[in-house]
Amino acid sequence: MKKFENVCVIDDDHIFIYGIKRLMKEVNFGDDILVYDNGKDAINGLRLNSEAGKKLPSIIFLDLNMPIMNGWDFLDDFCKISESELDNTVVYIISSSVDPRDLVRIKNYSIVKNYILKPVTANDLAAIQKEEVA
Amino acid sequence: MQIIDHSKLWLKELENLNGSPIGLPIYDVINYTSKEFSKRCEECLVGGEQVKFIQELNQPKLNTKWLEWTISPWTENPEKINGLIIVKDDITETKKREELLLKSKSIARIGGWEVDLLANTVYWTQVTKEIHEVPENYVPNLEEGINFYKEGTDRDKISILVSDAINKGLPWDTELRIITAKGKELWVRAKGEVEIVDDKCVRIYGTFQDIDEKKRIELKYNEVADRLAMATKAAQIGIWEYNVVDNILVWDDNMYELYGLNKKNFSGVVEAWEASVHPDDIAPSQELLQRALNGEAEFDPEFRVLWPNGEIRHIKAIAFTHRDNNGNALKMIGTNWDITKNKNAEKKLKNLLEITSEQNNSLMNFAHIVSHNLRSHSSNLSMLTGFLDQEGDNNEKERLIKMLCEASESLDETVQNLTEVVQVKIDTLDKMRPVNLYETIIGVEKNLAVLLKEKNTVCEIEVGKKLQINAIPAYMDSILLNLFTNSIKYSSPKRSLALKITAEQKDDHTLVTFSDNGQGIDLKRHGNAIFGMYKTFHKHKDAKGIGLFITKNQIESMNGKIEVDSQVNKGTNFRLFFEAINV
Repeated sequence: MKKFENVCVIDDDHIFIYGIKRLMKEVNFGDDILVYDNGKDAINGLRLNSEAGKKLPSIIFLDLNMPIMNGWDFLDDFCKISESELDNTVVYIISSSVDPRDLVRIKNYSIVKNYILKPVTANDLAAIQKEEVA
Repeated sequence: MQIIDHSKLWLKELENLNGSPIGLPIYDVINYTSKEFSKRCEECLVGGEQVKFIQELNQPKLNTKWLEWTISPWTENPEKINGLIIVKDDITETKKREELLLKSKSIARIGGWEVDLLANTVYWTQVTKEIHEVPENYVPNLEEGINFYKEGTDRDKISILVSDAINKGLPWDTELRIITAKGKELWVRAKGEVEIVDDKCVRIYGTFQDIDEKKRIELKYNEVADRLAMATKAAQIGIWEYNVVDNILVWDDNMYELYGLNKKNFSGVVEAWEASVHPDDIAPSQELLQRALNGEAEFDPEFRVLWPNGEIRHIKAIAFTHRDNNGNALKMIGTNWDITKNKNAEKKLKNLLEITSEQNNSLMNFAHIVSHNLRSHSSNLSMLTGFLDQEGDNNEKERLIKMLCEASESLDETVQNLTEVVQVKIDTLDKMRPVNLYETIIGVEKNLAVLLKEKNTVCEIEVGKKLQINAIPAYMDSILLNLFTNSIKYSSPKRSLALKITAEQKDDHTLVTFSDNGQGIDLKRHGNAIFGMYKTFHKHKDAKGIGLFITKNQIESMNGKIEVDSQVNKGTNFRLFFEAINV
């Protein structure tokens, strides 16, 4: 199966970061993995990369509850980036929240492809890979 | 018989006569004389006594006339009658009036009666007999007359009245029931007058009127009116009537009670109304009244009334407008009643609803927060144990175990936080008591002395040393500790920390402010999330997002509230409201 060109994970939980990296390796998800531990760092980092001529990640895994800037605020800022640049990027929300209001709210963001409830598994990643890359 | 003289007035009547009637025969001149006339004249001539009679004169094409003739003998000496003096009197008007009276008496069912106490006879007129339903030839006597009255109070009363009339000369006018000869119960109005000769009652007479229909309607009306009065009194409904044309307002007694007023103290109702209605509510009510009179609105206002004892009552009014054929308002009849209880209940209910929905909302949020936090740790734990199961490398295994420990510690900490939050929610208000604010602040400051010194903190405390607030002591410690540590934690690296605490006693609460000159927070962006659970806005290793959430819960559980304003890089200012001590 084809790998993702570049992957981004935004989450403040370092155990989760360890876990998802390990799972990605297991299913051969992608090699280039960018990690940010809050929304603000992520938006700043991605902007810098974009200005330096780098492509935006083709897939972003986004947590909702984070300090400084949470997932929602990140999405609001991220969507302001020009549409042509966002064309090749999809966002998957990965959260522990089962609050139905959150599930309703993601429908406002066309860039968000799906909502995955933690814990994330190797099967989850394989399914995403199948859908997005194949 | 010839006419030998006449009055001038009489001559005028004889229109058809040319010249003087003197010398003409009387029966020829008066062409309408009847047989009776000549007979009476003869009678007088023979008997020598004055004769009087009334003639009913029916003339073709003319109204009936009534004539009273007085024929007197004219004598020179007592033995011989020379002629007659005939006087004609037109009594048509009197007769008509008499007839009308009789007719109306019969229609109004007014009869007459008379008791001659000397001859011991009783006379009843036709109508009186009709009312008693006795035959025309019935001969009444005083005792029987009294026995027609209904046995019991009615008969007792008439007996006393008649006896007082005879013995004391007192007239009477009363309404009583009789039982007619045919057994029918009737209401009558009995009037009696007394004739006294030489200090002795010789005659009593009077009228007797059938008022049954009127009386029964009156009684029925009284019954309904009594019932209504009793109902409105019991329901405390005031009734008023406004005569629009003459601009007169009338209140019933209940109205004064509703307004807590003494009727005697007010010359007019409008004055009383304006004196008692809440100043803010007068104009709207009057405006609505005008619109109701114009037919643009229903008159159904609610307004507040200030009772003389200072109580505020809520009054509801409803009125109907009576109009003439052109739609002009003639009068308004309306009611007032006290809706204070409903108003207060409504207010209470609204408050309760607000509190309940707020609590429901916060419980819902809390449940999701709990679920989120527990899930995030448990998912980490299950993920790590999954890896551990597959892992062959010992170094990696050790790393996983370290992470497992970390995750389970985080879980433990979360559970502890949640317990603390739940504790706040179940702590009751019973534990509230007066707390000296100044001493509490000094105590917390002492505990944090080392940390405060590290930041070269300047503490300005403008709180009265005796000021007390109604609070749970442990919560006050916790709240102040949290505010202090937040200020220390998020102090600006560019300047030394300056804190200012003030307290001010207001009417029904105490306001405490807590200000610092720290990093501040962008409230436009984060808004009230600052008090949310697990919300952190600074990159700080100890930021957990639980402190202010608990602070807010603790203050609210003491019936207080907390507000914040802040400017990035300038500082943060918290305002804490506490219940007044006497509440």
